[in-house]
Amino acid sequence: MRSLRLPSFALAIPAWAWLVTFFVVPVGAVLYFSFGYKPGIFGTHATDVLSFDRYAEALSPTFFEVFMNTLWVGIAGTLLCLAIGLPVAYWMAVKAPANRRGLLIALVMVPYWTNFLVRTIGWQIILAPEGWMSQLLQTVGITEGPLEILYTRTAVLIGVVYNYLPLMILPLYVAFDRVGPALREASKDLGANRVSTFLRVTFPLARPGIIVGLLLVYIPLMGDYITATVLGGAQGNMVGQLVASQFQAAQNWALGSAMAVLLILVIMVSAAAIGLQLWLVSLPFRARNRVVLEASA
Amino acid sequence: MTTTAPETTTDAASRAPEASAPRTTDAPLARRARRSPVDIGLTVWSVLVFLFLFAPIIVILVYSFNNGRLLIAWNEFGFEPYRALWEKPAVRDAVAVSLRTGAIAAVLATLLGTLAGIALARKPGKWALWFIGLLLLVSVTPEIVDAVALLPWLVFLGQDAGLSIFNDGTVRLVVGHSLFSTAVVTYIVRARLVGLDAQLEEASADLYARPLTTFRRVTLPLAMPAVLAGLLLSFTLSLDNTVVAAFVQVSGSTPWPVYVLSALRGGLRPEIAAVSTVMLLLTLAALALVAVVLKRAGDSATQIARTMSGG
Repeated sequence: MRSLRLPSFALAIPAWAWLVTFFVVPVGAVLYFSFGYKPGIFGTHATDVLSFDRYAEALSPTFFEVFMNTLWVGIAGTLLCLAIGLPVAYWMAVKAPANRRGLLIALVMVPYWTNFLVRTIGWQIILAPEGWMSQLLQTVGITEGPLEILYTRTAVLIGVVYNYLPLMILPLYVAFDRVGPALREASKDLGANRVSTFLRVTFPLARPGIIVGLLLVYIPLMGDYITATVLGGAQGNMVGQLVASQFQAAQNWALGSAMAVLLILVIMVSAAAIGLQLWLVSLPFRARNRVVLEASA
Repeated sequence: MTTTAPETTTDAASRAPEASAPRTTDAPLARRARRSPVDIGLTVWSVLVFLFLFAPIIVILVYSFNNGRLLIAWNEFGFEPYRALWEKPAVRDAVAVSLRTGAIAAVLATLLGTLAGIALARKPGKWALWFIGLLLLVSVTPEIVDAVALLPWLVFLGQDAGLSIFNDGTVRLVVGHSLFSTAVVTYIVRARLVGLDAQLEEASADLYARPLTTFRRVTLPLAMPAVLAGLLLSFTLSLDNTVVAAFVQVSGSTPWPVYVLSALRGGLRPEIAAVSTVMLLLTLAALALVAVVLKRAGDSATQIARTMSGG
């Protein structure tokens, strides 16, 4: 007595329906709005005449600067996260005592799961010209006047590096941990020193983790709205704020939609470029490694 | 100083590395004996980075005891800010809204995500590629784009389409919070079940259990640690959600992060830090529970790290 036969994806239908209703449809509408225009002062959008004019407007010099600024913060922030996080992840996975690793992971998790807005406000307190850091630096004599970092691009950069660093450390840790001690010791036994063991064994094997880390940091960083709002002020504008201001203050949904679509496009294209780049870079290594492995087998 | 006795402290061993046996079975001793400048540099760097990671959190903790009028200007130590939790209705309500929507959104996302995760793990096919594509799209779309897209849509549904349920503050927040969480729960549940052999379910079917019984008695218990982890992660994700919430919220049901965001413009008061500290403790309790659940399910520290950074 076989009751009605369900398709194999039946269990995924509720989630699919939910995401289509509240993600695909509204984001699709934004895509549609982006080809429209703002009719008069009181309208937010109209789509009776469709054109690419909003895209041209979004890329006009005023806004283009914000796109370039966002790209700069995105790339610089991601690379800084890699430079800061890689040694930490390596230390956690290889050097730290094995029985403390759980604790160390927990310590990386705590900032990541602290409210995003609140930890950014923590930096506002630290970087404020009248704050304790500023006074400390002046007392010690490192700076002459009060600290003038808050509401600049530097503050935004510090903020995003801080906010997304755990997303770099965790996948790198997983990658280094997966390599395991056996291969490193084999490399050492075969006469490699520490540097070449790292460069020719550990690092190449950890490369997938590095790609994951770069993407996990870069993608949300580019769309960041909070960090730039709290720490950036007028100078540290990012595209996320631009989109929000078009929808709220300017009431120009058409232009805001075009900016949102461009933001997604920039993120997808550059993320794909990061992935592709690293994959291409790894090709010669792979070929060489394969030869070595065959020769030794 | 000779260090031949097995009871030697690790300190002594690090001071006289040559004297201790180079490769004893005592792992920490051997590790310390091999300390090089590179190792020391790595350790120092890591300690500095951990300090960096905790700097703003410690600042918020300390400033939550600031009895001044403004958060940034330290006045004197006191517990005044914590009194806002029960003395200021606006603060109390914001926290209550956050907890309520967090709980509902978590249950909803877990329900949707668990079913989808099981389908992905056990019935993979061509459809799975499309579905994973959709989940990826949900995950990479910036929150601000979700926010500006969702607001007009909810207004349309609530007013033009006459579905007045979408004018309700709680419903709007739950919808906004559930999207990303659904994707996260799906990833976690799928990852767990893919790692487990389907043999148990096949055995159950061979023993003439009906599909529903197999699902309830075998599949679901297998997925349970991931389901619980997903539930708690969704809850904390929801507590953290600021951007989407700020756009879709209805006045009268403002969640806590949105309250903070709007306070940002008018000058932050120390009670912001106090309530944030309480919320942080709540989040940490939820996360500790996740870790305990996963650990009891036999996950290693690395697996827990992967799950908790979102699959």
